[in-house]
Amino acid sequence: MKRNKGMIIAFLAPAVSIFAVIFLYPIVRTIIMSFFKIDGITDPVSKWQFTGLANFTKLANTSLFRTSMWNLFRIWLIGGLIVMSLALLFAVIITSGIRFKSFFRAVIYLPNIVSAVALATMWLQYVYSPKFGLLKSVFSNLGLTSLAKIQWLDNEHKFMALLLAYCFGMVGYHMLIFASGIERISYDYFEAATLDGANKLNQFRYITMPLLKGVFRTNITMWSVTSVGFFVWSQLFSTVTADTQTITPMVYMYMQIFGAGNSVTERNSGLGAAIGVLLSICVVAIFWLCNHLLKDDDLEF
Amino acid sequence: MKKKVMSLALASVMAASLAACGGGGQDPTTAAAKEDSTATTAAQAEKSDDSGEEAPAGGEGSLVYWSMWEATEPQGQAIQEAVNKFTEDTGIAVDLQFKGRTGIREGLQPALDAGTNIDLFDEDIDRVNTTWGQYLMDLEDLAKAADYEATANAGLIAACREVGGGSLKSIPYQPNVFAFFYNQAIFDEAGVTEVPKTWEELDAACAKIKEAGYTPITCDDAYIVCMFGYHMCRLVGEPKTEEIVKGGLWDEAAVMSTAEAYADFAAKGYFSDTIASNVWPAGQNQELAMGTAAMYLNGSWLPNEVKDMAGDDFVWGCFSYPEVEGGTDGTDAANYGAQVLAINKDSKNAENAFQLICYITKGEFDKKLSDMSIGIPADSTNSEWPELIACVKPVMDSMTIRYPWAAGAEANADMTPIIKENFLSLCGGTLDAQGFVDALKKAGN
Repeated sequence: MKRNKGMIIAFLAPAVSIFAVIFLYPIVRTIIMSFFKIDGITDPVSKWQFTGLANFTKLANTSLFRTSMWNLFRIWLIGGLIVMSLALLFAVIITSGIRFKSFFRAVIYLPNIVSAVALATMWLQYVYSPKFGLLKSVFSNLGLTSLAKIQWLDNEHKFMALLLAYCFGMVGYHMLIFASGIERISYDYFEAATLDGANKLNQFRYITMPLLKGVFRTNITMWSVTSVGFFVWSQLFSTVTADTQTITPMVYMYMQIFGAGNSVTERNSGLGAAIGVLLSICVVAIFWLCNHLLKDDDLEF
Repeated sequence: MKKKVMSLALASVMAASLAACGGGGQDPTTAAAKEDSTATTAAQAEKSDDSGEEAPAGGEGSLVYWSMWEATEPQGQAIQEAVNKFTEDTGIAVDLQFKGRTGIREGLQPALDAGTNIDLFDEDIDRVNTTWGQYLMDLEDLAKAADYEATANAGLIAACREVGGGSLKSIPYQPNVFAFFYNQAIFDEAGVTEVPKTWEELDAACAKIKEAGYTPITCDDAYIVCMFGYHMCRLVGEPKTEEIVKGGLWDEAAVMSTAEAYADFAAKGYFSDTIASNVWPAGQNQELAMGTAAMYLNGSWLPNEVKDMAGDDFVWGCFSYPEVEGGTDGTDAANYGAQVLAINKDSKNAENAFQLICYITKGEFDKKLSDMSIGIPADSTNSEWPELIACVKPVMDSMTIRYPWAAGAEANADMTPIIKENFLSLCGGTLDAQGFVDALKKAGN
């Protein structure tokens, strides 16, 4: 077939130009901004002051930013383990042919359609309340007085409280992805394995898990992307001013770009851009790792 | 045939929508902002129907006003009424857009930089004059022409001049002051007959209140740093406090003195048992409003925020943060200020905008704003304050030194969460004074 270069250009041009304007330009601009000191995010370039790598070194030397990165890592790792394990468990149960499958699926997914603000208020003002909270009542009724006395929102427990509340809402979403992956696997494999005498656990280990590699990769990437953008829950768990236990790089970035709390504080959009660059590198690194560690091209089904 | 008609109709709809997108030569930011708007006066809607494509929305002389409130808040409702009356009286249409706190904080500067037509906007006195100072019109002449200051709160106008670099660039409304708010019934029951003016008197009052079976002081995570800031300022003044916080000078004696004073109160059991885990608004709602705690250091907006929980019989009291022995500042210093209205320096309708400002901040609508939001009136002729905050008047009137927010303790964004974490632990009794100072030093800057 003869290639018509004009046609190729004509059809590609809109997509390429839109990609360049909407994706490429902001990326390039953000990278450039990260080397400057910029007060307002829309300041003209003439007002930018070149500072080289100062933004990055300042971030490295700021204990609060390091804390925020540590929190992000903990959210990603601990939260990821909790969410992925529960999501996989629920997905396996839901696809195992239980009754009321749709009902359970809907119930587990439900927190996703409730506003994060409403959910966080429920957790903060009701579940964790040291006065009349759900946890306090449950532990008191069980006679576990030392557990009932715990203040779930003090410095020692606030991070775990936040993580638990966040994971509660995230399980359903990842469960759906796992469930769709499991349903894609032909029932024939399980039937053959059953005939060969494999129990459910072995079937899960030798059939479901290997064939879910690609889905795992998708889930881990999705989890990483949403974790890196962790913002709303952090804000809801520490209204007005940030908190060492809940601060994440996105919250720190917001503070640098729009000011912190009610005070008028120094702003530096260049520093915010530097955080954006660092977070992007994290996501790319995780994506690259996942692609290398979880290769699913050796299996076809 | 049907298909042809359908495809023709669809094509024309598409073409029309494309034309609408690009038409009118309107700034895209304005278009986006308009979509976001929650309120447009009826008059503006009527007028824009017959205005030409190039004319500003709402016709010649019309105004665009970005407000920090939500349309559903009492303040937003009062402002909407003032704007409606203004339009009715003058025929000047106003495109009033309620942006909310974060909306205006994130969106105003980019919109102004993009040349969006915004005539006036409002926000906190410090943010407007400091962060957005470069966009403000000097209002001295307009204020003079309208004899504005004849019925304005002199202290607040002076504060506006001070933060405006010597000239008046913003007009205050909805004033507020930061002080201790207390439950009069608990004070009466405990036998505290006079409000504490010194730290020792506060100590004695707390002892009586505790003896009577109540929690003397509660707070929430959102405001806890303010207590640190006010104590520091009473000891060494605001500029020094800010210097310590920004420079990481945690070896200064004032830091240890403040920590010791609060550790002492914590040891005496003056703070709520749950102070270390109170996430706003748990303390103000579940303890102060419910009548189990007596005092809370907060702004004069507090009675309004908790009025539905506190009930009609809740009698409020107010006193300025007490003096500390050997300190520099007295009870006449606090964070007092207001929301302010400002006019965009590029506005072509500054006189109309100033006229609207007068509508909002004077007479009938200032009174209405005060009544609806249980706030302090800005117009000095509106001498009758809402009953719930009548107790604030002597405190507000006594102010001579103005602190910024949190008395400067939150001036360093990198340190605020660290001060907050450790001060919560200090008040909760899990950290001693030395531990508090050490933690701040360790965190560095």
